[in-house]
Amino acid sequence: MSRALLLTSLLAALAAGAASNPTSVPDKASAVTRLTWALADDLRALPVEAPVALHLSGGSAELRRAVGSLLAARLAVMNLAPTVLDAPSPEAAEALARAQGARTLARLTLDVETGMLRARGDVLGTWVNFWSGRTPTRPARPAGALSEAVDADPEVLALAAVGGPPQPPTPQPGVRGMRFLGATFARLDTPVAALAAGDLDGDGKDEVAALTEHEVSVFAADGRLLARRALDGIAPASVTTREPFGALAVLTGPPRLAAWSTRHAHGELLVLDVARAVLRPVGTLDAAPVGPLERGAFVPGQTAFQPEVRMADGKPLTVVAPFTTASLAPPRMLFVHPDGVASLFSRPGTAFTRLSGLGAGSALGDLDGDGVPELLTTSPLLQPSPDVLRVHALQDADPTTHEPLWQGALPAGRALGVVTADLFGDGRREVIVALWKPDGTSELFLLRQGAP
Amino acid sequence: MKRRIALAGLALLASAPSLAASRPRYGGEVRVAHVGPPEVGEPALADTPLEATLLGLLSRPVCTPTPDEGARPALARDLTRPTPQVVKVVLPNAATASALARAWTRLSSADGASPYRALLYPLRGEGRQVSASGSTLELALAFPWPDLERALCHPALSAPVSASPSGPFSAAGRGALEAQLGWPQGRPYLDRLLLTATDERGLARMWASRQVQVEMGVSSETEAPSGALLHATYLAFSPRRLPTDFRQAVESAIDREDLTRLFVRSPAVPMPHLLPPALLQQPPKPRPSAPAALAARTVTLLYDAALEDQRAVAERIQVKLHERGYTVALEPLSRAALRARWAKGDFELMLHALLLPPVPGPALAVVLDAGGRKDLLGVELPPIGVLPDASARDARARERAVAVAASVPLVPLYAQGLGVRVAPEVMGLEMDAQGLPTLDALFLAPPEATATGGRP
Repeated sequence: MSRALLLTSLLAALAAGAASNPTSVPDKASAVTRLTWALADDLRALPVEAPVALHLSGGSAELRRAVGSLLAARLAVMNLAPTVLDAPSPEAAEALARAQGARTLARLTLDVETGMLRARGDVLGTWVNFWSGRTPTRPARPAGALSEAVDADPEVLALAAVGGPPQPPTPQPGVRGMRFLGATFARLDTPVAALAAGDLDGDGKDEVAALTEHEVSVFAADGRLLARRALDGIAPASVTTREPFGALAVLTGPPRLAAWSTRHAHGELLVLDVARAVLRPVGTLDAAPVGPLERGAFVPGQTAFQPEVRMADGKPLTVVAPFTTASLAPPRMLFVHPDGVASLFSRPGTAFTRLSGLGAGSALGDLDGDGVPELLTTSPLLQPSPDVLRVHALQDADPTTHEPLWQGALPAGRALGVVTADLFGDGRREVIVALWKPDGTSELFLLRQGAP
Repeated sequence: MKRRIALAGLALLASAPSLAASRPRYGGEVRVAHVGPPEVGEPALADTPLEATLLGLLSRPVCTPTPDEGARPALARDLTRPTPQVVKVVLPNAATASALARAWTRLSSADGASPYRALLYPLRGEGRQVSASGSTLELALAFPWPDLERALCHPALSAPVSASPSGPFSAAGRGALEAQLGWPQGRPYLDRLLLTATDERGLARMWASRQVQVEMGVSSETEAPSGALLHATYLAFSPRRLPTDFRQAVESAIDREDLTRLFVRSPAVPMPHLLPPALLQQPPKPRPSAPAALAARTVTLLYDAALEDQRAVAERIQVKLHERGYTVALEPLSRAALRARWAKGDFELMLHALLLPPVPGPALAVVLDAGGRKDLLGVELPPIGVLPDASARDARARERAVAVAASVPLVPLYAQGLGVRVAPEVMGLEMDAQGLPTLDALFLAPPEATATGGRP
């Protein structure tokens, strides 16, 4: 009887263990979870011998700790008795693992590049043959190389970003180094026609808004969809564009979103109602919102705006040619023309600087907090492979003639929209790039400043 | 829209890099030469890939098939199913809706009968009476037919070319076509196309002297891109007027590989089954042996006088059937006359070419009707349409195409596409699911990217 009871309880324990130990990574798991599950599967497949020691290098301390904790947890479920070592280098970790009685050591280096969270390293046995004496020989097994990568997500960027409590950025003259880490922020089923960012709910943090042919979507800082509105109720435009195109701007006081897709006869003013997760229409637009207060008009049938713009003070401004992209960081204004040439105004009414080689994904944004915006631009090529985002310091002359402060490859696709936003309310601006994917979908790619 | 952007994305991926601030540029004109007629007639008769392409510049069907088994509006503003048995087509205006309804009804009339009427067979009354209500066509189905939308995308169901613009370009005289600003899917990137009709030697001459930037109807041996090969040519025969072993005589005498290699313009492939290889991929059956010799017999083979390929194939058939005891007289006819003879069943032998839709079910319907087996439509189509899954429907249609082949008096011969070549300065060439180039997607590369690579 007691044997039967013991057997029953053992079976129950095994069943409970199985239930709490899913064999496949849960849907919508974070990037760190997906990476650690993949690494744990690789380790088990080698196979390795318990106890397993882990040593992590690269990335930020927070990212290392997060990956270490989750990987150890996953290995514990596999009964591999993991420990996480705190050693100054991968070489030092080997001796420490032996000293702690581990039979296997996994040494991993983490990095976040072009939207991927990667872990690379090796696995080695730490058992030393008695006959080797003091020489720390290695056993034949386990031994292997590890390399896994997953799409990064905003959580990874938060972990990999510059550590420390949120502080207003302090301008540091002369220090111009920048580094961005990127991750997928959100995906949309159709191409993005326009992109904007601003504080739509008054919480001190910016939201990201994306306009497609027939919809407007608003996303929170973590990429979560806050609200979406279909524009199907608006009459179709008598003249439209082959490619999705439009204008989107965040208006202040009170915060509203102005959206106009060229598929429709007019635009719409929307208010974000976070509690109900809706975008509520509060008015219509009969001029394209080039900026919060600036208005323009589309070139009929083309993915461009007419060169005449009505400025915030009501005065007209005429740029040299139609433009595909406008970015306003008062008093500065940037207009990118269809031929990749741009007009940069230091203030309205002054002469403009002619820039060249700019892509449709261009914006002005103060990334280093020095009060002067930087120029962000993508490739002017139709199909760059890959597209590259460049960040230039604004200088009197053409800033694109100088080395960029930073440049980095973007994931596959055409980068046709760029905005900057203070997503976390820490005074530091992030970059969001809208990418048109070859399969007809689009991706919002978040670039966050990381440790230099 | 997503599909169109995907296509555009693929086209851009295939394009050379060029400076354009990441977007295609608008404006400019492109000179196009082709081996088709200077003007195209009614849509149901403009059914070679080249003529359908030329027609599509001025008049488009209500939708465009997408590679992923869908359809997106083209001429239509909207294409929906308010109920599973009704397809609602919203057109830009009442005049267009009315013209389209008349054109579709004409496909079933005595004087304009066309095998493409089978595309409308699933409608109530077999599509004989389509009427417009304002700018809307409400199409009620007689039986479940989820592929109706994709069938409606067939070029033969385009609106007739008329004064009211129903394509991405409008005629501006002397071969010039101007971009339609109000085209519902967005104006073409180019301002203008300048078309020149010529022959094959003219194509070669104009290409060599850089007089044109796009050529249509070139041989694929020039490494020109081509789309799906859906222009299928059959030898139709009258079972009432020919002996029962006629099919065996033809199958034993004709080598399809020979036809495609030596007698017809590429791109072309042998077609051993009732549907082209693009829709039905199965190895060919072994060629039968020749039937027992009969007394000499004289038959007349009708063919399309406008198609040089058909003349060559007709002559080849003449030679090969002579070996089987048939004396074949050749009679070239205009396409309209050919279709009229087909509609009356007034022929012994006929070369019948059809531009088949890129969907097996509707394609089978057209082939059955063209083969004089309209009676089979009511038997074969409902069991296909009842399947909710598109790939299951396609598989069933293929299966039935093989099963009924012996009872349809058509001998499949070959399937062709349209070879196109473009100069390096012209970008954005796309081939749609029908295998036709969409010239409204072309745009000119800026001078920075222009090179002479690929030109003689």
